[in-house]
This record gives sequence, C-alpha cells and structure tokens, in this order.
Amino acid sequence: MEFLTQIIDTIYENFFDPKKRVFVGYLLSAILISFLWLCIVKKKNLAECFHKIFDKNIFFSKSAKADYFLFIINIIILMFLSPVLITQLAIATVVFEYLHSQTLLMPINSDSHYQFLIPYFFTITYFVLDDLTKFITHALMHKIPVLWEIHKTHHSARTLTPITIFRTHPLEGVIFVIRSALTQGVVIALFYYIYGDNITFITVLGANLMSFWFHLLGSNLRHSHIWINYWNWLEKIFISPAQHQIHHSIKKEHHNKNFGVTFAIWDYVFGTLCTSKDNEVRKFGIAENEHKYEHNILYLYISPFIGIYKIISKYILSRFQNTNKKTFIIKN
Amino acid sequence: MNKSNNIGKSITKATFVSTIAFSFMFSPVGLVNADGHGVYGPFPITEKSYNGSKKNSVSYGGQIARQLQHNALKKLASKGNPGDPTNAPEKKMLKYFNTKDKAKTLAIIDPSTSSSKFPVKQKMIGELSGGANLSGKADKRIQTSWPGNMSGVDVIKFMIKKAGKTKGGVDTRNGMNYPQLISKYTMGAVLYHQACDNYLDEKMTASSKPNNKPYKKGAYYTGKEHSWDEAFGYWGAAAHTMKLTAAQSYDIAKKKDLKAADYNNDGVVDLKTEMTYAHAYYASSYDKKGKTNYLKTVTKAFIDGRKLITSADGNKLSKAQLDKIQDYVQIICSNWEDVIAESVFKYAGSVYKDLGKIEKALDSGSGMDAAMSKYLKHWGELKGFAMALQAGPDNKSDTFNRLNRMMGFGPLMPNLSQVVGIDSSGNYIKDQGSSIGYYKLHMLKIQKLLVEKYALKAKVNDATGGMAALIEKVGTKKSAEND
Repeated sequence: MEFLTQIIDTIYENFFDPKKRVFVGYLLSAILISFLWLCIVKKKNLAECFHKIFDKNIFFSKSAKADYFLFIINIIILMFLSPVLITQLAIATVVFEYLHSQTLLMPINSDSHYQFLIPYFFTITYFVLDDLTKFITHALMHKIPVLWEIHKTHHSARTLTPITIFRTHPLEGVIFVIRSALTQGVVIALFYYIYGDNITFITVLGANLMSFWFHLLGSNLRHSHIWINYWNWLEKIFISPAQHQIHHSIKKEHHNKNFGVTFAIWDYVFGTLCTSKDNEVRKFGIAENEHKYEHNILYLYISPFIGIYKIISKYILSRFQNTNKKTFIIKN
Repeated sequence: MNKSNNIGKSITKATFVSTIAFSFMFSPVGLVNADGHGVYGPFPITEKSYNGSKKNSVSYGGQIARQLQHNALKKLASKGNPGDPTNAPEKKMLKYFNTKDKAKTLAIIDPSTSSSKFPVKQKMIGELSGGANLSGKADKRIQTSWPGNMSGVDVIKFMIKKAGKTKGGVDTRNGMNYPQLISKYTMGAVLYHQACDNYLDEKMTASSKPNNKPYKKGAYYTGKEHSWDEAFGYWGAAAHTMKLTAAQSYDIAKKKDLKAADYNNDGVVDLKTEMTYAHAYYASSYDKKGKTNYLKTVTKAFIDGRKLITSADGNKLSKAQLDKIQDYVQIICSNWEDVIAESVFKYAGSVYKDLGKIEKALDSGSGMDAAMSKYLKHWGELKGFAMALQAGPDNKSDTFNRLNRMMGFGPLMPNLSQVVGIDSSGNYIKDQGSSIGYYKLHMLKIQKLLVEKYALKAKVNDATGGMAALIEKVGTKKSAEND
C-alpha cells in the first residue's frame, strides 16, 4: 500500500511541482504558445489550431502509449535504484572539503555593495553549467556506441509528446542522475566555499528562476509535433522546439545535431548546430522502416542490453582475431 | 431507620473523601501527586531503619553546591590578574574548587544573591551542603585531550593557575580562554563524570549501595535512592522541569523568569529545586529550537527511575527492577552524552565561522580584535566540551583521538602558531600549525565525525548546513527523463 502511495505521489509530483518539466502550469503555457503560434503566425483558425494541437493520432499513437507505460515503470525502477545512487550532498561535501586544502581559490570575505547580485550570479551560473553538462552528456550518448544503444530507447519515438521525455531507459536515467549530482555538487560546493551563506537560489514558485522561464516559455514543445522556430540568429543562441525536433529526425543530415537543451551556443561552438532554416522534419525515429517491436515495452527495456552485448562481443572477437593474426605472422 | 442510617454514613464518607481529594488537588503536594510525580520529589521515606521526622527522602544538596561552585569558578576565572603578587585570583578560585563549606563562609557568586529581579533563597554554598567540593569528585584518569599527561583534577588546577595569572582569564598569546575551558571541562570532569561514570554506573548494580540499606549509617534514604538523587542533582534540572517549556528552563538559567522558577510561590528561587544549571541549561538551549527534547527525556527518565526505586519500599531491587533501572540509565546517559556532543558540534561550527572572520580581518587589516575575542571564546567552549565528552563512562578512544588531533591543544592563531605541549615548568610549547583553510577543514571533519558517532539532531551551526539546504532547494528528485 505504501509502495502504491509512493508511486502515486511521484506521478502527482511530476505534474504539480513547478520544479518538474511537466508541471501542469508549463503544459498549459505550452498549449497557449501553440495556439498563439498557429493562430497568429500560421494564420489558422481556432478549430484548426485545436485539432492540430490535440491530435489524437499523436497522443494515442503506439509510440505515445509506450511513453506513458515507460513513465510509470521507470518511476518504480528508480524507486529501487535511487537509494544506491550517489547524492549531490556527498559530492558537494567532498568538493567542499577539498577546497579547504588548496590555496588557489580562496573565500571572498570582503563586504561589497554588489553583494545582492551574488544570488543572481549563482543562479545563472548554475543554470548555464547545468546546461553545458547536459549538452556534453547528450553528445556522448550519441557518439559512444555503448551509450547510443541506451539512448536509442528515447530516439525510437515516432511521435513526440511532452511525456516522451520519460521514454528513457533506466540506465540512461542513472547516467542523468549522476550527471545532475556531479554538476550540482561541484557548483554548489564551489559557490558555498567562495561566498558562504551569501548564496541562495533565486526561485519562482520554488523552481530555479531560469528553469522556470525556460519551462514557461515552452520547453515542453521540444517534444511535440508543433513546429515552432525562432529567427535564425536566435537559434544560434537558444535551441528552438523545431531544432530539437530536427534532432529527432530520421534524415541522415540531421543525425548528431542539436544536442543542446536551452542554449544553442554549445552546438554552435562544437559544430553540431542545425538551425530550422531550410530544414524540415518528415519523420521522427531512428530508421525509416519501423521495427516490429519498437514500441513493445519489454523490447524497449531489453534491446539496449542486446545492443551492448553485440558491441562488446564484436570488440572482443576483433581483438581475438587480431591477436591470432599477429601470432600467425610471427610464426611464419 | 437502618436505611436512613446507611444513607447518612454514605453522605459522611462521600463528604470526607471529597474534602481529602479537594485539599490534595489544591495543595502544592497534591498537584505533584495528582499527575503521578511530574516533579522530582517529594518522595516518601522508605528506609526501614530510619525513625526520625523527615517525610521526604530526596536529597541532592551536595550536587547543587557543586553546581554553584562551578558557576563561581567560571565567574572568578575571568578576574585573572597577572599584576597581583599575592595570587589572590588563583587562591579564590582554588577555594571554590577545594573547599567544603561546612562553616558557611563561601558566598554564592552566580546567581547573584542581591538581585531583586531574581531573588534567591540561599546566600552561602554551605546552606546547600557543607560537605561538597569539586576537586574531590573530578575525574582522576589521565587526560589525553590536554597536554602534560595530567589527571582531570590536575588539568583543572593547571587551568586555574593559568587563569589567575592571565588578564581577564584570556591568554591572547596562546589562545586560551580559561573561563570557558574551566567551566566546560568541569561540567564534564565533575558533573557528567560523577553522574554517568559513578552514581548511575557502579552504584546502580545489585551489590553496590543496595536499596534495603541506608546510603550511610543513620541516613533517611536508601543506597539506591540517594545514588539516583545525586545523579539527578548533577544533571542540573529544576525539580519541576516537566511543568516548564524548554524556553522557560532556559530563561530560568539566565535568571530571566522568576515566575517560572518559583514553583512553590514563596517569592524566592530555591537554588536546590527551582534552578536550571549547566547540562540541563544546554539541553534546554537545543530543545527550545524545537528539533530535540533532551531536557524532558532525561528528566522524565530520572523521575520514572526514582518512582521505581521508591516503589520497592526500602527492599532490595529485584532483577527485573534493576534491569528497568538500567533502561532509564541508558536513556539518561546516552541523551546526556548527545547534549555534550551537540555542544562540540555547535562550537566547531562557530569556530569555523570565526576563522572566516579572521581571514577577513587579515585581508582588510581591521576588525582583528573583535574577531579574535569571539574565536578564542568559541574555541574554549569547543575544547572544553570536547574534553567533557571524554569524561563519560565509555572510552571511545578512536573518536576521542580524532577529535583531539583535529582541534589540537590550542587554537590555530592568525600567525599559524599553535600550542603543541607543555614544558616541565608548565609553559606552553608552540609550533607552526597548518593553514587557516586546513584548520577550517578540521572543524568540518569534527562536525562530520560527531554526526557519524552520535545521534545528533539539533546540529546548531552546521558548517555545511547551508549547502545541504541549497541542494534541498534545487530539489532534483531522481527520475529517468531526457532533456
């Protein structure tokens, strides 16, 4: 019973805690933005807008249904995994203690007139660095074959809804938890060491100021079928919903593009940026042809392990063959 | 006729019972008994060999005398005067440390006996007990927490000697704040040590101080009753603590709440039963913040234990009763130990903050005197409580060694010097210590060690508490989601 309550609490929290991406307030703002976009920019009437936004072929597609199941099952799996995962506080404490034993970086003790700016500086720095580590982790998930096998679960989605963010293999969930703990632990320890009790997060409804605005301004539209693009110059600074949809596109030229979450500058710097100009997305997913089981829940959980096994076996086999080849050459 | 007679008898009985019940309910003693002894005493005489007129078997005047001697020592330690060739400050402190005030010549110094806002009943230590001193009860074991391989009693005498010759009791060269060191260590070496390592330890076994014999020849209390009372006296709680809030107990110790203190409404504070002292005061200081309930947990265990001993009615305690007493002892001494550990934790946090202010003063070139004054006071409290923690019944040598090593024998001074020992003449030997950053790290590690080894809940001045709060504020719950 307690177990069930915990699951219900977690589901509830996802939709009613403003710290969460799919908080109802952010979902409503995404709907409003979609309406405004379709009505004003795309010149559609209200009925057309309504049908486009609440397209039942999207929200009740096989792919979307699989997302909903994964959302629930992952909550249960993470409930068991969470206690053994490293916490932000553990990392922060280690970093904080380490900082006391070095002399390169020292606490700032002087009282300044600009002290009131420290919380803003901290909040923004944290958000930017968090975004950078998300970019790096995401890029690695695509570039390293073993990680790609795990990340493929997310990219196997054929339709995108805000719930698609939960179409994630639990192993990837663990990687993200570690990333988040490392980022938070290091940044918080660093700032706390330098500025002491002067630092605090600037929050709105309990959520980080920057995250609040990011989500309020339509972060949920990244995983949606509503193509909203920015001016080309702005898409070099911020990732538009359309750019993330390009990231999910099956077109070869769109592969490994737009790893960024909020900022596009990381993609710009690392040469992976693809703006929406002259680009269109025909289909989401990994390959043109649908795999027989690509929305089967069991398959979604098992396939990364099969993929990883194949990669490792291939690697071992190739090493073994190389060694045999070398032995043969020496013998001859 | 018979029927009306019976009715008449019933009415008479009912009137009699009601009168007794009423007079009990509205008398102070009645109030005590009505809620099942929410107050420590009075308890009836159960000692069978006693034929005198006493009605209350509770006795802990000697312990309260020692509480007052401790209070006096702390006050006197701040009166040190290096220019006095007669060593008067030291002599006076030794008087309060060594003398048994049978002649009633040792005046009570703290609380003030002339205050009209907080008038007290007794003026002389001897009015509470003429046979109590601190030196006779101080820990005799060798103290590794202080340089020189001295016993607990010798450490206090050493500190007294130094305090007498130091202006205001604060040695700014070596970083020793003697009023704090003497006070906090005496709380451990005498009060805590005697209660948990003596009266509630050996004397609560079947063979020692049995309940079917008087504590000493001619006494009106049994062996177990008096041993228990003595431990309660060392705890330092007012007898009616269970009727007070933690904040009221705290204010009584601060001499701010006469109304709460004066339980029998006689207009004065009876220093034996109506005052809060030392450990009980520190317990109340944590409890009033709402996270802990040390004061009432310990006091209730004392009251329950005393009720159990009284219920034996002067007979030997059975195995089951002795086992139950051990349960109460466990509650009392583990919570008491935690109160001291909370204090070490708190002052490690204070020292951490103070070191930040010293770094700031070093950077800016101003404010060093104020920063140092606080730093040395807090370090004295930290060290004193850390030494007190080691005066209990358990020798947690690994924890104690780590504590002692991390805080050192003296505070790290701004010129990075630190006391490392004492020479044969009793002078401090100093060496170059670590950096301020490293010393701050030691304070963090002290807090971490205490959290690991003790069941701390209050955790006042948690140096990493702000960081934990920030992480809480970010509040990323572990979930599997993509970006």
